[in-house]
Amino acid sequence: MRAELKIAGRMLAEIRSDLKRPHTFAHERVGFLTAGIVAPPSGGLLLLSREYAPVDDEDYLDEPGVGAMIGSDGMRKGLQMAYRARSALLHVHTHGGRGIPRFSGIDIRESRKFVPSFFNAIPQSPHGAVVLSNDSASGLLWLGPDRSPIAVTGFVRVGVPLQRFGGLQ
Amino acid sequence: MNWLSRQSFLGPNSAKILKSARIGIVGLGGGGSHIAQQTAHVGIGKFLLIDPDRIENHNLNRLVGGTARAAWRRARKVKIARQLIKGIQPRADVEIVCDVWQAALDKLRECDVVIGCVDSFGERDQLERFCRQNLLPYIDIGMAVTAVGPEYLVAGQALLSMPDEPCLRCVGVVTDERLEEEARNYGDAGEQPQVVWPNGALASVAVGFLMQLLTPWHAAPLSGAFREYDANTNTVRESPKWRTLGARKCPHHPSNDRGDPSFDIRLCSDGGSGVKRSAALWGRIRKIFSRS
Repeated sequence: MRAELKIAGRMLAEIRSDLKRPHTFAHERVGFLTAGIVAPPSGGLLLLSREYAPVDDEDYLDEPGVGAMIGSDGMRKGLQMAYRARSALLHVHTHGGRGIPRFSGIDIRESRKFVPSFFNAIPQSPHGAVVLSNDSASGLLWLGPDRSPIAVTGFVRVGVPLQRFGGLQ
Repeated sequence: MNWLSRQSFLGPNSAKILKSARIGIVGLGGGGSHIAQQTAHVGIGKFLLIDPDRIENHNLNRLVGGTARAAWRRARKVKIARQLIKGIQPRADVEIVCDVWQAALDKLRECDVVIGCVDSFGERDQLERFCRQNLLPYIDIGMAVTAVGPEYLVAGQALLSMPDEPCLRCVGVVTDERLEEEARNYGDAGEQPQVVWPNGALASVAVGFLMQLLTPWHAAPLSGAFREYDANTNTVRESPKWRTLGARKCPHHPSNDRGDPSFDIRLCSDGGSGVKRSAALWGRIRKIFSRS
């Protein structure tokens, strides 16, 4: 199934810049991206980025075993942002580097724990997780709380120039 | 030698990028016909052409590809444009819609870029709004001939409207006053004066935007653009309004308006085919309402 994520150029630059900021103890930063959905008649899903919010500094938990762990307040703020407009909610972090990034085992394990819970608040929309590199991205999308995720098949940066990148791992 | 070899400066993969790009041209009259011709020459591979109108005798002063025979037969403007494109690129994928653009929303959504060459401020406002809601780059051109004392001022503008960047309302092309005036005069506007060369100049600026949008031609930072054309002095310049706006984020098109507000994944429980059926259902419902 085709699932494409379009992100406004200005927003993608803001996300990359935000995720590069160091944190006092977390090894990496995390943010939440919301998206509107369109189901084209040709099939698949088109996700259209709406808003981005970084996880606040105080919402990270000191968990040395993982890159970043966020507490319930951080999750709640992300869900509140998505809830208002019944948006899809995507957990975003970056691995840096170049090329199509891969989700780590920990990324997948943790995403499987928290993404299905997003459906409790916003059951109308698919939800997922995105990992960025400096020039590409990968994504996983859950279509329901009890279903296996599907891969985001492609990303489009809607800026000048228009760029297609990333996708299926 | 490749037919696009003289434009290889656009970038190493530019021919491939242009061939795979799908552009939507809304309005195939004086402006849109120029754009159809230029984009066919430059190597765009997929076209969606939308216009409900037929050519008439008084269009012959500006409609590129229009002929006396076509005017006599009252040919569809989209069919003239398709013939023009196919004459340059016989293998181009050209889809035509002989209807208003609101009847082809799903087709427009699948374009990479939409170019609007429509007459009214209301149409331009609505088309831009649709593009913003679907994260589509939108290029708008418009011109007008205005009597100023004993002379005529011929002027126009071209806007590259990108998500979150300044829009037609930000730059003052679309205003509530203009929309109200247009609504008051609806059906009473008469024939607006139009000529071929300002349309050609503005179409060239628009195709320039398109090339910067699609190809790695040059690295000049460009988040959007607004150019003003003065046909009386034969000059194109960056609008001072654009410089004033700077890096300000557009307040007129909230990002939460993006997407289908009625979408519900629970109606698509059997995966991709369900999504397809749900979309088709909503498409039919939208079509019924757009007719009423």
